[in-house]
Amino acid sequence: MSTILECNDLTKKFGKKTAVSNVNLKIERGQIVGLLGPNGSGKTTIIKLANELLTPTSGNILIGGMKPGIETKKIVSYLPEKTYLNDWMCVHQIIELFSDFYNDFKPTKAYEMLKNLNIDANDRLKTMSKGTKEKVQLILVMSREAELYLLDEPIGGVDPAARDYILKTILSNYNENATVIISTHLISDIENILDYVVFINQGQIVLTSSVDDIRAENGKSVDVLFREVFKC
Amino acid sequence: MLRKLLKYEIKATGRIFLPLFLALLVFAGITRVISDISPETWSTPANISMLIYIIIMVGMFVMTFTMMIQRFHKNLLTDEGYLMLTLPVKPWKHIVSKLLVSMLWIITSGIAAFISILIISLEKGDIAEITEGFATFYHLVFEQLGTSAYILSFEIILGIFISLASGILVIYTSIAIGHLFRQHKMFASFGAFIILSNLSQVLFMLISMIPGITHLFNINDASHDFIGMLPIIQLIIAYGIIFIGLLSAAYFATTNFILSKRLNLE
Repeated sequence: MSTILECNDLTKKFGKKTAVSNVNLKIERGQIVGLLGPNGSGKTTIIKLANELLTPTSGNILIGGMKPGIETKKIVSYLPEKTYLNDWMCVHQIIELFSDFYNDFKPTKAYEMLKNLNIDANDRLKTMSKGTKEKVQLILVMSREAELYLLDEPIGGVDPAARDYILKTILSNYNENATVIISTHLISDIENILDYVVFINQGQIVLTSSVDDIRAENGKSVDVLFREVFKC
Repeated sequence: MLRKLLKYEIKATGRIFLPLFLALLVFAGITRVISDISPETWSTPANISMLIYIIIMVGMFVMTFTMMIQRFHKNLLTDEGYLMLTLPVKPWKHIVSKLLVSMLWIITSGIAAFISILIISLEKGDIAEITEGFATFYHLVFEQLGTSAYILSFEIILGIFISLASGILVIYTSIAIGHLFRQHKMFASFGAFIILSNLSQVLFMLISMIPGITHLFNINDASHDFIGMLPIIQLIIAYGIIFIGLLSAAYFATTNFILSKRLNLE
């Protein structure tokens, strides 16, 4: 297995506040990784650093051995926690935009998923509910054949039924060599699909382990362990 | 990639501007037809249609200005930035695409306004007169100045473009600087704009105080013959272009630096 994402002494400060502190991390290809931690623990900051939306204060973050830039953006499919869709396009126009800019984007896949979730490709993004917009974003992100998917709180805003479909979508849409990193605090919902977990708290890595090891060594589920580690 | 960005930028803005241009020309036409039918001045329908025409005209120029700000700010520095800035495109290409498209709409708005004025005010025979006037003017200028007329007009056009670009870039830079602040971003952008525009004027004053350049201005005052002054005028315009060009480059570099290294989307 080779490394897809690597952090070396990664630190990010906002003024006096340290959001990410001296993080060293290696994520291997071909797994689904949970980036788990309470609110404000630095999950989103790490993901934004990986997307060049933030620049590290010190240390570095590498994707496939490269610093974030044009080349890494070609292989990373990123779902931010924000709704980034503009309000004047139709769904099919945003699909065209993705096909234009990403060579690995598969429009047929996107249209198929839209159909399964009963979303009309001619609908304007403006008229959609927040939950529907989140579904559209996830469809866009999962219709790419990327090497690394970075999903920031992908299930936070959608109903449980759609949540199941989304998890199924994530599972069925990534190939063996691809890696999916999901950041969330809703662990019980995604525990079953995770291969590996990274616990993060106050900008520092608390624990990294494969899910099998957690179950074998501690005899506990990830959710129970999480509640223990982050006990208030 | 720049071409694709331009395509989407034109799509995003054209859907507003093209209907505006059309409305402007249509109401110019309606105003014209009504006043032709009822030539007594200040008839009510003519007034109403004239008023609508003027409102559209004002709206069009306000729109070019707000679009210029909004496309840069909203598309790159708010939630939409999460999409735009994670596309595999260098940040400077985003700036260039927005700059060029803003310039395009400012210029086409000017042209649309000009055409609409012609529609309203042109009388029979005016076109012939105007073309004739232009021809005479052209011959006169060419006779007097020779080939340097071309150089002068090239300089003037280049000067207009560069001034336009620098006017837009100073606004982009101000917005980008405002983005560096955690609170009161709008206020900070506004402050940055005032400081930057003052700073550029001070710089301009300082540069014109360089001995050689003052000397040029003195000769300028002494001579009252336009043809004799021409080389100096050309030189002054050239200096202006270089100055504004360098200023624009500095604005561009600052904006690019902030977008690529100091980005902090909410």
